[in-house]
Parts: sequence; C-alpha cells; structure tokens
Amino acid sequence: MDKSSSISREWIVKKILFVLAMMAVLGIVLIIVLVTKESIPALTKVGPFNLFSTTWNPKTGDYGIVVFIVGTLLTTLGGLLIAVPLALGTALFLTQMAPQRMGTLVTRGVEILAGIPSIVIGWIGFTLLVPLLAALTRSAGTGILAASIILGIMSMPTITSIARDALETVPSSYKQASIGLGATRWQTIWHVILPAARPGLLVAVILGMGRAIGETVAVALVIGPATTFPKSLTTPTHTLTTKILMEMGESSGLQRSVLFAMAFALLLLSMGMILTVRLATRKKEFAR
Amino acid sequence: MNGTRVEALSAGYAGGRPAPRHETKSKMQDSVATIVVWSLAMLGLSALGVIIVAILWRGLATALNPAFIFGEPQAMKAGGGIWPMIVSSFYLAALTIVISLPIGVGAAIYMAEFAKEGKITKLVRFGADSLSTVPSIVYGIFGMMLFVVYFGFGYSLIAGALTLTILNLPTVMRTSEEALKAVPDSYREASMGLGANRWYTVKKVILPCAVPGITTGAILTIGRIIGESAAIIYTVGIFVKKIPLSPLAPGAPMSANIWHMYTEGALVPDWLRVASGEAAFLLLVVLALNLLARLVSWLYRRKTRTSDRFA
Amino acid sequence: MQGKWKTGVIGAGLVLLTVTVIVLGGCGGSGVSGTVTLSGSTTVQPIAQEAADLFMKDNPSANVTVQGGGSSVGITQVSEGTVNIGDSSRGLKDEEKNLGLVDHKIAFDVIVLIVNPGVSVDNLTGDQVKGIFTGSITNWSQTGGTDGTITVVTRDSASGTREMFDEKALGSTKDQPVSLVTGAIEANSNGVMRQKIASTRGSIGYISYGYLDKSVKPLQFNGVTGNLQTGLDKTYPLARYLHMFTKGEPTGTTEAYIDFVLSPEFQNDTVTKEYIPMTKVNQQ
Repeated sequence: MDKSSSISREWIVKKILFVLAMMAVLGIVLIIVLVTKESIPALTKVGPFNLFSTTWNPKTGDYGIVVFIVGTLLTTLGGLLIAVPLALGTALFLTQMAPQRMGTLVTRGVEILAGIPSIVIGWIGFTLLVPLLAALTRSAGTGILAASIILGIMSMPTITSIARDALETVPSSYKQASIGLGATRWQTIWHVILPAARPGLLVAVILGMGRAIGETVAVALVIGPATTFPKSLTTPTHTLTTKILMEMGESSGLQRSVLFAMAFALLLLSMGMILTVRLATRKKEFAR
Repeated sequence: MNGTRVEALSAGYAGGRPAPRHETKSKMQDSVATIVVWSLAMLGLSALGVIIVAILWRGLATALNPAFIFGEPQAMKAGGGIWPMIVSSFYLAALTIVISLPIGVGAAIYMAEFAKEGKITKLVRFGADSLSTVPSIVYGIFGMMLFVVYFGFGYSLIAGALTLTILNLPTVMRTSEEALKAVPDSYREASMGLGANRWYTVKKVILPCAVPGITTGAILTIGRIIGESAAIIYTVGIFVKKIPLSPLAPGAPMSANIWHMYTEGALVPDWLRVASGEAAFLLLVVLALNLLARLVSWLYRRKTRTSDRFA
Repeated sequence: MQGKWKTGVIGAGLVLLTVTVIVLGGCGGSGVSGTVTLSGSTTVQPIAQEAADLFMKDNPSANVTVQGGGSSVGITQVSEGTVNIGDSSRGLKDEEKNLGLVDHKIAFDVIVLIVNPGVSVDNLTGDQVKGIFTGSITNWSQTGGTDGTITVVTRDSASGTREMFDEKALGSTKDQPVSLVTGAIEANSNGVMRQKIASTRGSIGYISYGYLDKSVKPLQFNGVTGNLQTGLDKTYPLARYLHMFTKGEPTGTTEAYIDFVLSPEFQNDTVTKEYIPMTKVNQQ
C-alpha cells in the first residue's frame, strides 16, 4: 500500500519534471512559430526578389535587406578577426604557459569581461572609441571598424572559454611524448596540441560568431547607422539586429513584417550554427 | 589510434637529433611564440582594464552620489536620478529568477536523474542549444508580440520576466545540471541502497548537495538579466518616474534606460552625465554580483571541506 | 496508456498557464477607475510624463503610467484596449483609419534644419535642401558656403518626423516618393540626431524645436527662421502635430487626463517650452 503510493507519486513527479524539461522545446517552437507568423506578409506580399534586393525604401515599397545582411556578415567577420587571435592566444596562455597566479588573474578577467553588459561596452564605444577613430581617420568614426572592435571584445570571452576546454581535453600524454622527443613547446603546440583540439576550436569560433551576429545594442551605438553598403571601414552602415532595434517601435504593417523576416533570417543563421556545431562535435567523436 | 600523431611526429625526428642550427632556430621560434601568446593574453586583459577605467572615470563621481542613486528621474529638466531604474533592474531579476529557477532546476533534475539518454534528452538538449543561440533582440520582439500585445500585459516587468525566463532557461538548466552531476554517484547508490526511491533521493540527498552550484549559477544569471538590454527595451520599457510596484507595471531597468538616455533622453540637458553615471552604477552592480557568486562557491567549498574532515 | 497520461499532464499545464494569464491579465486591464495607461511615441513620452506628474499632483488618487515603444506600438495597443491612450508623432495611416480611434492633437511641433557648427551657411532654399537630401548637391561650396563634403543625417524610415520632412521639405508624395541620397546617416530619435550633427563635420539634419541647443547650428529655410512664432503664423512650413489617440471618446479618468493635457494651464506653462501650444494654434 505504502510502497505503491510512493511509486505513483514518484511517477507524477517524473511527469511534472518531464513537462518542465520540455519547456525548452516549447520555448524554441513558440519563437519560431511566432516569428514565422509575423513575417508571412513580408514573404508573400513583398516576395523574395524584393527582399533580396539592395534597395530599402518603404515609401516606394522596396524592402531589400541585403545591406543589413552584408553589414551583419562584415561586422561578424571583423569581430572574429580580432577575437580569434586574442582568444586563441589567451586559451593557449592559460593551458600551456601561464604561471599559476597569472593564469588565475587572466581567467577571472575573462569571466568578468564575459559578464560586462553590452550597453556598457557600447557606451565605451560611443564615448571613447568612435571619437578616437573619428580623430584618427578624419571620418564619422562609426561603421564596420568600430563595430568589429566592439564585437571582438565581446565574443573573445566566449571563444576563450570553449577553446580552453578544447585544449584541456587534449591528453597530456600527447604533450609529454612530443616534448620527450625533443620538440620545443611551440612545436608541440603547433604540431600536436592545436591539431588535436581542432574540432573543439571550431565549435569555439562558431559560438563566438553566434555572439557577434546576435549582438544588438553595443553595435547600434557605433555602427552609424545608415542603410547603405559601407564605402570604407569607417563609413556608417547597418546590420540586421540594429535595423530591427531602431525601427521596430515606429514601424507598422508590411515594414514591421519585414523586420520580423529579418529576425527570421537571424533565426536561420543561429539554427545553422547549431547544426554545424553538432556536426563538428560528432566528427570529433568519430576521431577519438 | 591515440598514438598515430605521436608516431608521425617521432617519425619526423627519426633521423636523429636535429642539427644545432636548426635547434637555435626552433628555440628562437619558441621564444617569439611565447612572447606573442603572452602579449595576446595581456591585450585581452587590458581591454577589460580600459573598459572598467573609462566607465568609472566618466561616471563614478555621479554614480556614488546619493542624490543621484535615490533621486527621481527627470523627463524634461536636469538633475534627475535613477532610483526607479535600480529598483526595476532588481525587480525584473527577482521576478525572472522566481519563474525560471523552478523550471530550469526541474528540467535539470529530469535530465540528470530521471531521463534515460535517448530521443527525449536529445530533443531537450537541442531545444536548449537552439534557445541559447537566438539573438536577444529576437527574444525582445518575440516577447513584445506574445506577452505585451497578444497576452495584453503591456510594457511590464512580467512581460520582460517571461521573455527573460525563456532567454535564460538554457543557462539555468545547464548550470543546475552540472551542479547535480557533480554530486558523487556513491551518494545516490547509498541512498537508494537504503531503500529510498529516486525522488526521495533527489529531494533529500542530491538537491541539498547541489545547492551551492545552483546558487552560483542563479547569481550569475541575475547578473546577466541586469545587463540585458535588447530583450527588454520592447518588453519592459525604457523610462519611468515612479518605482514599479505591481509586476504588471512598466519598468525601466538601468540598461534599457541608458539606451533611452542615448535616444529620446536628450531632452534632458544633462543626459550625458545621467547615462554615464548609470553605466558606472550598472558596471559596479555587475562586478559586485560576480564577486558574490565567487564568494558563495568559496564559502560552500570551505564548509564542505570542514564537514568532510569530520565525516 | 502512458501517452494518454502525458497528454493529460501537458493539458493540465496549459490550463494552469491560461488561468494564470487570465488572472494576471485581469488586474492590468483598462477601464479601472483612477488608472490611465499610455504607450507609444518616444517623442510624445516626455510631455505626456510631465502632464502625468502634474495631473497626479492635482488628483492624488489617480494613477497615470506613461510608456514609450514607438507610435505604431501605441496605436496597436490602444486599438486593442491594452492601454487607454496611444501616443503618436504621426497621423493615422490608411490601414489604421478604421480602428475606431479618436484623435486628440496635443501640440504643434516645429522641425528646424540644423547643421554642424563648423558649417558656414546660414540659409538654404527649398531647392537646395532637396538637392542636398537627394544627393545632387554634395559640397557646401555649391550652396555658397566654404568647401567641404556634406554629410546628410536623416531620421529612420519608420519615423513620423521623417515622413513629415520628406513631404513638406522634399516634396515627396505618395505617387512620387523621393529617394534620399545613399549613405545618409540615420538617427532614430531627436537626441541621436542632435548628437550626430554635433559630432560630424559638414553634417546637416533636422530636429524638433525643443531639442535645439548650443551644440548644433539652426538654419533658415527659404529665408525664414524656424521657431514657435513662425511655425504658428505658418510662414515656416516644417511643422506637424503630436497626437494622443483613444479608442472611442475617452471617459472617466482618461477623459480627465486628456482634458488636463489640453487645458490652457498645461499648454501655456509646459507645452509652450518645447512646442507650439494648442491654445495658440486654435486661436489662428
């Protein structure tokens, strides 16, 4: 009697916990459904040819979003060009060379950097970086370069911590064998450790890319903005996220729907990244 | 299979020890690389230094002024404070944690203690992974449509809290699951061996042991909520004059209010002072939370160490 | 068997969620005596907030909350009954005209052409402005100023101010909309506009009169200085109304609040600092 009641209670608890676990699935489904639903008018009434054109002028019914996609890709690429060397260097430093105290200091620093709100980093960009670039390049100072520096700093902690994990999973026997054979520390890193950690490093870069693609407020403060392709690294342009942020409040009808279609594009990008990560980690499992 | 790389490497050196000149070259290469790696790590650290110093340089004097901290915000004249914004930030964080912690911990218990690895766990992990890569502005406009417009909450703390619950679910789940999995299996075996069922074991043995890990995760989540802006600008609001009391009241968390000061806040003559002060205060809060999380995990670790000694 | 249970539990969860939503939603609904909620245009927000403060001082039992979000959000929310009043810096669009909204014009807003203080020009003709904003004039020397590239700053494409400016200054119509010069910087608020003009060499833009300060230089348009006086007597054409919309005629506290916003007391003491008060517009 007693036992059976406790079993059924455990069974109910298990079901409740199951429902809670499914909330993550429910959440992503809700987001996909709602964003898709809101972007349907854009996809049907505006149409793919219009959407994938380069002209944005809601008054004439032109809703080309290519400028924003290019802006997102360029700033993300620029961000990675800055973040990857920094992050890889830091991860190597932490796993291969850091004296203990220095290592702890850098680890804490990276953790703190990861937690700094994007509006704060954006505020630095707006009050310090943009005026500096404006003075150095005799331009507006806003644009791809400023956004890349900001994104580089912001995605660096993500890449560092995952890259560090990847480097730490390389068996120490590899390293010992290599050093034992007379290779220098750098030869060991370059020929043994980095190749062995490659799938994990790839995941680190992809997730850092995700951070850069999705960043909004910090970029909005330094991107310009202007709905045009950038002529140089310091001329204003726009990205998917900044356009959504700046026009969602005042836009209506089709224009709003197009903004949701841009969010849909961002969702596709992030889903694509998740699948790539899955693929990369699966390969890693095979290699072991 | 593990050996292939090492074998390949040893094959490369099979011709005997490298010539002396080769050795000096590789030694030099090694020291150059060491310098480069060190400088990269220091460069990352100095970026953090620049950010903290620059923000505090501009805003610390304002941020530490009680008249600013506890002052009423101004919409059209100078001299405003940020008290309702500070309250909004913490209120929003508390509300989000109250909703997301039970869901996240429950989900983590299911994943760590009840579920067998299979289709369901794969599906849940895929859902959580996907959620964690969705950009926060997408959460923002999703929350705006679902909670603000469809559910009719209007711009409100609850609309923001529900949005942020979904946003933070993957992190809460992951940190909680890690905390649960860190509890040694011997505890489970001992408890179950004594005849306790799984839920009883979880409730009385596993969860208490995982509390420090879950708490640390929750504090870090609070830090993230307080720093979030893109997801709340269109769900919670960006400017209020009065402290929000009801969860259905609109709020203006600090991070969203800085955005407001940058945009329409410029009707206030001293908007630059207010925004810089608010940014500095926000930074101090986030740094303090970081410290608190560290303190909690350190305290618990010390406590368990002493109790181990007596065990 | 198990499947049935699963659906049952999920169903129960959904019911619980719905109940929570209804209960929570119930206490925030509109029409509660003593409470007025506003959302919408961030341009209107400061003035609506100021009115709310004064209104609550006079009526301590009343509770007025003002939120931003943008004109379209305000119009959507007021038509759905989520808020009592929707603030807007633009009139209703065609598709919004059958929502049953009542328009309350609360202020007349003069838009002033501004340039970076380093620009030597003081006046621009309508044609010059059109040339600059559409890209046929690219250097200040073409308008009688000293040599220097012109940087155009405009408002974002969803802005009501932009719509007004494109129509009245650039002659944009529904059938023949103008296309702005490529590379124009977009500001999504008056504040950002002012900051961009102040910090960008050779820049030109436009701003609500209330946001003018020493960091930017105002220009004459066709020889007329844009200010409250010229806006009022219609010699300066770049102006538009700010609106508050209600679903049907307002009642109760909402009516009292709107009456207060339109009262000579509030219009002549507060609105007049940044905009042309309706009391003066109505006299014309």
